[in-house]
Amino acid sequence: MASAKNTAAVRTFGDHEMITPENKLRKAVSKEPLPPGDDPIARAEQALSELSGEFASWMDSECNRLDAARHAVKSDGFDDVTKEALFHAAHDLKGHAATLGFPAVASAADSLCRLIELTPDVKRIPPVLVDQHVDAVRAIYREYARSDAKELAKLLTRRLREVTDEFLIGENRNRPDILEQIMGPSLVPE
Amino acid sequence: MVRIEFNRLRFLVIDDNAHMRRILRTLLHGFGAREVYEAEDGASGLEAFTHYVPDIIIVDWAMPIFDGLELTQMIRQPGANANPYVSIIMLTGHSEKRRVIAARDAGITEFLAKPISAKGLYERIVNVVANPRPFIKTATYFGPDRRRLLNPTYIGPERRKGGTKADVIRQAPLLDKIRTQG
Repeated sequence: MASAKNTAAVRTFGDHEMITPENKLRKAVSKEPLPPGDDPIARAEQALSELSGEFASWMDSECNRLDAARHAVKSDGFDDVTKEALFHAAHDLKGHAATLGFPAVASAADSLCRLIELTPDVKRIPPVLVDQHVDAVRAIYREYARSDAKELAKLLTRRLREVTDEFLIGENRNRPDILEQIMGPSLVPE
Repeated sequence: MVRIEFNRLRFLVIDDNAHMRRILRTLLHGFGAREVYEAEDGASGLEAFTHYVPDIIIVDWAMPIFDGLELTQMIRQPGANANPYVSIIMLTGHSEKRRVIAARDAGITEFLAKPISAKGLYERIVNVVANPRPFIKTATYFGPDRRRLLNPTYIGPERRKGGTKADVIRQAPLLDKIRTQG
């Protein structure tokens, strides 16, 4: 149960209360300025950079997870479990690719997320469209060392998005709010 | 900028992705945190919240069993646990406006869209520590005040009732505004 000491002040109004809880985090606010040359953000970035030797193998496992989820969809069809696994794998890649040093992978993964999330009946998604997305994600990652990799990734992702939008517009023709979302700009940079 | 002594804060990271937990732990240790606990889904996250009584929770949205949004709603139950006021930073790949609004309405303290950066995470933590907001309790909401600032140019209905001078947004009549602009 919550203890009364959590609540330092409560003001009651007509239809709401405004509560100012005891500020337990104040203990961490220092009165002293940072020592000269001490930058916590730079320290954290340095720590992350020391970890970066593992990032390629992490990307391998994220891409393999996506591939496994694609094969589960192909063998078992779309159901709640296979749909969730495929979406989740793509969603993690979308969110993690840039942090792991492969930002150009994120857009293709994002396109797959949109395809799954915005299709009212996922069983109508053509299997080839899922394959194209998964293969694109894996190809962009695999060819990342090429000098023209980012340009190729951009072209590939743009084409994927066009094909996906065409399918989504057809599937959502009676859902104006979703159509607006589909035709809006992507939040994930190419 | 305010200096935060991270070694005096206890963190709980809840994310089903082991790579992201490792990244978050690394960043938090880099900031100077010592106590960083982890959980890999919403259910074990709730258990860890009760057990460790963290100061700040960093939670992913998409997770098995129950997700970060549901977990936040469970924590924001006045009287149901040790600290319904705990600071919750939602870290997620979902960045659409409707998602941000849903997270805000569930009672999160801060929202941080992936990809994560040391700077973005640091700023959110500094904000929850140095600039805590009061909590609002209504029939349908319990969580940090969703009004981060008073907007003197706001025109529209006042949704909160019975407030005093301090919490009522003054509404300039639309006609006056048109006259001023004209």
